[in-house]
Amino acid sequence: MATNACRPLLARPAPRGVGRSVLLTLPILLWALLMFFHPGANPAQLERIAAALTVCLMSALFFMMMKTGNTYRWRRCFFVLLGVLFPIGFIHNLIVARGTMGIPIEEMIAGRTPFCFLVIPTIILPAALTKTLVFPGSILSSTHGIASMVALWLACTLVLGKGWCAYACFFGGIEEGVATIPARARIRKIDLRWRYGPWAVLLAMVLLSLALFEPAYCMWLCPFKAVTEFVAARNAVGVVQNVIFILLFVGLVIVLPLLTKKRTQCSFFCPFGAFQSLFNKTSVFDVRIDPTRCKTCVICQNACPTMSLSKESIARGETLSTCMKCGACVDACPRQAAVWHIKGTEVAFKPERARLMFLYAAWALAVMFGGSIIAQGIATILHFVI
Amino acid sequence: MRLRAIFGYTAAGLTVLAAVLTPFVLMGFFAHGFAALGLHVDEVYSGGPKVRTVQNGAYSITIHRTVTPRPLQSEKPFVQLDWSPANALPQHVSDVVDVDGDGQPDVRVIFDVPTDAKAPLRVNVEPLNSRYEAVRNAGKEKYSRLIVRVDNAVLVRIPLQH
Repeated sequence: MATNACRPLLARPAPRGVGRSVLLTLPILLWALLMFFHPGANPAQLERIAAALTVCLMSALFFMMMKTGNTYRWRRCFFVLLGVLFPIGFIHNLIVARGTMGIPIEEMIAGRTPFCFLVIPTIILPAALTKTLVFPGSILSSTHGIASMVALWLACTLVLGKGWCAYACFFGGIEEGVATIPARARIRKIDLRWRYGPWAVLLAMVLLSLALFEPAYCMWLCPFKAVTEFVAARNAVGVVQNVIFILLFVGLVIVLPLLTKKRTQCSFFCPFGAFQSLFNKTSVFDVRIDPTRCKTCVICQNACPTMSLSKESIARGETLSTCMKCGACVDACPRQAAVWHIKGTEVAFKPERARLMFLYAAWALAVMFGGSIIAQGIATILHFVI
Repeated sequence: MRLRAIFGYTAAGLTVLAAVLTPFVLMGFFAHGFAALGLHVDEVYSGGPKVRTVQNGAYSITIHRTVTPRPLQSEKPFVQLDWSPANALPQHVSDVVDVDGDGQPDVRVIFDVPTDAKAPLRVNVEPLNSRYEAVRNAGKEKYSRLIVRVDNAVLVRIPLQH
């Protein structure tokens, strides 16, 4: 970038004082209390303890974001916890309700398969062309119904765009947690053409789902079946499906993130992530690179967990469409060239204001959706401990 | 530029508002909107709409409309019959059913009902009409050829000849 004419290096803004940070956190604390202890909610004692812990946790993390000015680290705490606690609560519920993680065919026929947002891109075309949902669930079931999950996804997408992948997707939390473990990456050079992988998988799965009239990704390729629920192996095909789920999970969610320190499943494979990238165009918040401050040191590119920055995109002052607004590049940039931004406004004009507006929206949804999952996971653990 | 900035901040404010309204207004609005689209779950899973019910002593047999899978689906066309309530069924069921409602028997369905609700079921179907396929000792291997217990009913799916 225009390194010779770059603006003087800005000092990172001084951390906020405790009082001001508490004031900024107050709306989130009230929101969390409203979500978990609203009038009419009458949780059992363990659930009440879990809810109280979740309110404290979510508020404390937001407080730290305000206090330190660092977004990524504190968001990651929430996100990894979400990824760890989701399978605990979910599998416990499955075992209690069914006695197994395998979905028996009876449950599918009864329309009691919990609807997962990963299926959404693959059900759109069959639904549009034939008014048929190729998923063995119920449209208006009170829990895990197709309508309620689609509604939640739509509302979150409207607000966050691709930010869903950093503030709501519990599957991504597992991967991000694994990627955090090693001190440094063993594999550093990754061919950027791998980034087209999710689009290829998306195209293939959409066409296959339309042709076969089944949720093809869910049936054959979803790595997270290994830690949630899977098709009960009734025959040889079922065994093959489950072997594929486990291999993909081990390869893309465990081994590659350990070697690369990247979210490899999200970056190379996830068709839902590719689909979600389309909604970054409609989201009003994004992350930009201020070319007048950037020295093209590519620290931001290395910090990005989904490889959503390239030298070309940095030169254009933009992130790629796959940016999930996790804040890693913003926090990593020593010159504060990577900034939160509201579309239509000047780049680097009051970026903290853009950050605050985005974080209030994102964290409100994180408390509502992720918070409830965390509370459920904590309640499950308390159930076993107490 | 200033006008664009005003639009930008307005949209950002509305986005924050949308986040706040999500649990109270937006989710319900979108869910009702989605339900109003008139979509239905694929009949290979749901078994298709019920056509009529035949009373047979203490229990009834509900007959569903024939389900015809899409060309590339791996299932055969089938018809689903529900015996309910399951707890009113005798230990051994052997019923002749007029599936298409023409007054002529179409199939004889034979299965045992174990007292343990979780015990696996097996079914035999003798076709009395060439439109239906024979089923020998089937469990729940395929959507188009199975016997399962769902809640308080025993569901049998009988494949049809192409």
